[in-house]
Amino acid sequence: MSASTSRRTFLGLAGLGVASVAMGCSKKPGSTGTATNAEQAAGVVPTFKDSNLITPDVKGIRPMADGYVKYPANLVDAITEKAITSGKPVTATTPWWGPAPPTSNKYVEAVGADMGGTITFSVQDGNTYGDKLNTMLGARDVPELTCIPGWEINKLARFSDGVHVLFEDLTPYLAGDKASAYPLLAGLDTAAWKDSVWGGKLMGVPFPTDSPYPTALFIRKDVADQRGIATPTSLDSLYEFGKKFTNPDKGEWAFGDIFLEVLQICGAPGSQNGWTKAADGKVIHRYETEQYKRALEWMARVYKEKLIHPDLASSKGGDVTTLFKGGKIFSYATGLGSWKETQREKTREGKGFNMQAVKVFGADASTPPVRWGGTPSIMWTFVKKGLGQDRTQELLRVLNYTAAPFGTKEYELQNYGVEGTHFTRDANGAPKTNETFTKEFANQFIFLGGRPAVVVSDPDLPTYAQDLVGWGNDATKYLEKDPWAGIKVETPSSQAAIQQPTDDKVTDILRGRRPLSDFDKVVQEWRAGGGDQARDFYAKVLADNGR
Amino acid sequence: MSAPSLVKPEAVPVTRSPAKPLTFGARLRRDWPLILMCVPAMLLLAVFHYLPALGNVIAFQDYNPFAGDSPLQAFLQSEWIGFGNFQYLFETPAFWESVRNTLGITAFQLIFYFPVPIALALLLNSIMSPRLRSFVQSVVYLPHFFSWVLVVSLFQMMLGGAGLIAQTARDAGFTAPDFMTNPDTFYFLITSQAIWKDAGWGMIVFLAALAAIDPNLYEAAAADGAGRMRRFWHITLPGLRPVIVLLLILRLGDALNVGFEQFYLQREAVGRDAAEVLDTYVYFQGIGVQQWGVGAAAGLFKALVGLLLILGANKIAHRLGEQGIYSKS
Repeated sequence: MSASTSRRTFLGLAGLGVASVAMGCSKKPGSTGTATNAEQAAGVVPTFKDSNLITPDVKGIRPMADGYVKYPANLVDAITEKAITSGKPVTATTPWWGPAPPTSNKYVEAVGADMGGTITFSVQDGNTYGDKLNTMLGARDVPELTCIPGWEINKLARFSDGVHVLFEDLTPYLAGDKASAYPLLAGLDTAAWKDSVWGGKLMGVPFPTDSPYPTALFIRKDVADQRGIATPTSLDSLYEFGKKFTNPDKGEWAFGDIFLEVLQICGAPGSQNGWTKAADGKVIHRYETEQYKRALEWMARVYKEKLIHPDLASSKGGDVTTLFKGGKIFSYATGLGSWKETQREKTREGKGFNMQAVKVFGADASTPPVRWGGTPSIMWTFVKKGLGQDRTQELLRVLNYTAAPFGTKEYELQNYGVEGTHFTRDANGAPKTNETFTKEFANQFIFLGGRPAVVVSDPDLPTYAQDLVGWGNDATKYLEKDPWAGIKVETPSSQAAIQQPTDDKVTDILRGRRPLSDFDKVVQEWRAGGGDQARDFYAKVLADNGR
Repeated sequence: MSAPSLVKPEAVPVTRSPAKPLTFGARLRRDWPLILMCVPAMLLLAVFHYLPALGNVIAFQDYNPFAGDSPLQAFLQSEWIGFGNFQYLFETPAFWESVRNTLGITAFQLIFYFPVPIALALLLNSIMSPRLRSFVQSVVYLPHFFSWVLVVSLFQMMLGGAGLIAQTARDAGFTAPDFMTNPDTFYFLITSQAIWKDAGWGMIVFLAALAAIDPNLYEAAAADGAGRMRRFWHITLPGLRPVIVLLLILRLGDALNVGFEQFYLQREAVGRDAAEVLDTYVYFQGIGVQQWGVGAAAGLFKALVGLLLILGANKIAHRLGEQGIYSKS
């Protein structure tokens, strides 16, 4: 390259720089938020028709699901007509957090055969599912049925635009009484259906959760009893619990990160990522409450006194479940959904491992706790757009099949596989799965479409249903009332952009890198950086809905 | 004396014929097999490098992948916002903080990481036993194939608060400093990790350069009475110089690229102020919040700075009589 060329290149580049300064008036990027009106949503969801067959052993107080201790003796054949009539294979993409199942798969074949056809699954790694979806959606190359978890939707670029471009509007098929053609879909919870409305249209089939609570505080009840340490009932006793369990010489620390739990113990709001309507009618965020400050102060102290396992403080790679299972920590916060798997693994080892969710308590006698409610649906199944009426109806029949409730033959086939091949029955008739099942089962049909949520004990965990439903029924007393309930709020990207920097600053305070006194400044910056704008947005959504 | 080049000058330069240059057709007839052999590589370049580079257009758009009727239409129909994405970046203090951190880490690693593979290669080259040498070589370059998650966990098991050192110190009644969560020593931590993981890998190219030095030079120098140090100073180092300069220039071109995973994993442990680099910034403020145009803009900015640095460094290398990344015709 000659000197003159490089000089010219440089001038060109410099010119670009000048231009970028000169274009000070150019428009900034970013989506504006939207919200589907609650009334609008109510008009497009299916009419509810209870599809449950069996009386529960432990009745759940809604929104907590019902519990079943015994496995039903007589199963119902809920669907007698074949769902797939065209003989054309159905393509589907589902996530799975585990080794990929074999493609030649007796479990998938058996369920497919019962539906009258074949389902071709593309099972993708759940940890990188969002990346896969972004590529698939961006290329507009989606299978006939796409399963998308709620937490991934926030990471998908312009999903509120994409959903209408890529997926079929199900309103004409399912709104109101039209759903009677799919009786089992009509048995899904109405709140979950309302959560499936984008831009005023019913866009997906929901996956209802068994409980609305995103997490619970778990402790090792067996070790606590053995050492005579009381289950915490207040913020002070939780601190005492932490002190007594922390013993670095033995490689033992009390906690994983429990900040989100502490926020709820202190009564900080959690709807829509921390927004609430104060007593005076103003929309406020939890950053602006005394409850949040109190939780922050307590948690910073716990970090400072090193009651949290150092591996969790030093890298994202620290695996809190492994530490808990290995007896390195004794209390952590996690989703209720993982309780069964964690306990089952340790139960089979037979050493008396007993993890329990701590009964909900407040910071002190005068502070009532809150429990944050998650979304009524945690996943959705979307039907590809433009397949024609016949195929869409056929696919909805497939989803009607997957919606078969507990106590049906279809439910057993999808959850446990084929008797003799994938499971055997114990003395009480409950299925006990084998190696073939473990190898072939990747929640394929479970994630393909939602069904009424139930909590079921099994031979390994005889008290699971009582424990979980019992905890949830108590927690329901403190369930936060979401002022935006029933409204599908799609937040503007400017608000998402302010979240991470604020979280970073809060983390700095928690870990003692910044003093607690900085918090007021952090809130000021948050308000100026987009917090106040977000407040106006949420207030407007409420006003538009007359709330 | 010109520096010895990596490749031995086996090919005899084609003698230029004084006849007038061949026509295009004649050259095509003569060279077509060569061109044919180049086609697959050119196609690869075109499909995987040049074509995707067109996607950079979204740096100037409020990109919406679902505008229009097809993915291609989305590029054409997304709203054109000029330098809006760049403006958003350049007005954000956090962006400049991440740039500052990135450059700081690059500068620090230039001094404390860059010489390590060279030293390692020299040390290894002095081992006489070929079996021992290839054994050591395999052991030190193997960590290159470990993922960052593994490397960070390993460091945590050694240096973390529940790690080997801390636990041993506690047994002996001391408190070990916490290396993993101290923002002040973060540069040392990540540089140690980089050395552990990649120094052995970086050493290979220097070993190759060392192998290319003509042994006759050493013998002649030794016969003339040059000692170990003088041979090192007058033969080994000049022999390595072109490779060192080449890699230095390439590293400078990569100044805004210090990796992602290593920082993403340890970001919370030491805080954003210490660990936010350009790539993590783009992840959290571009991809994480669906602002792909902003991410693309940051990528272009990175490429532009890299290009300027490479050209600048190459120019300086030429001035100093080095070959640089390409020889001056």
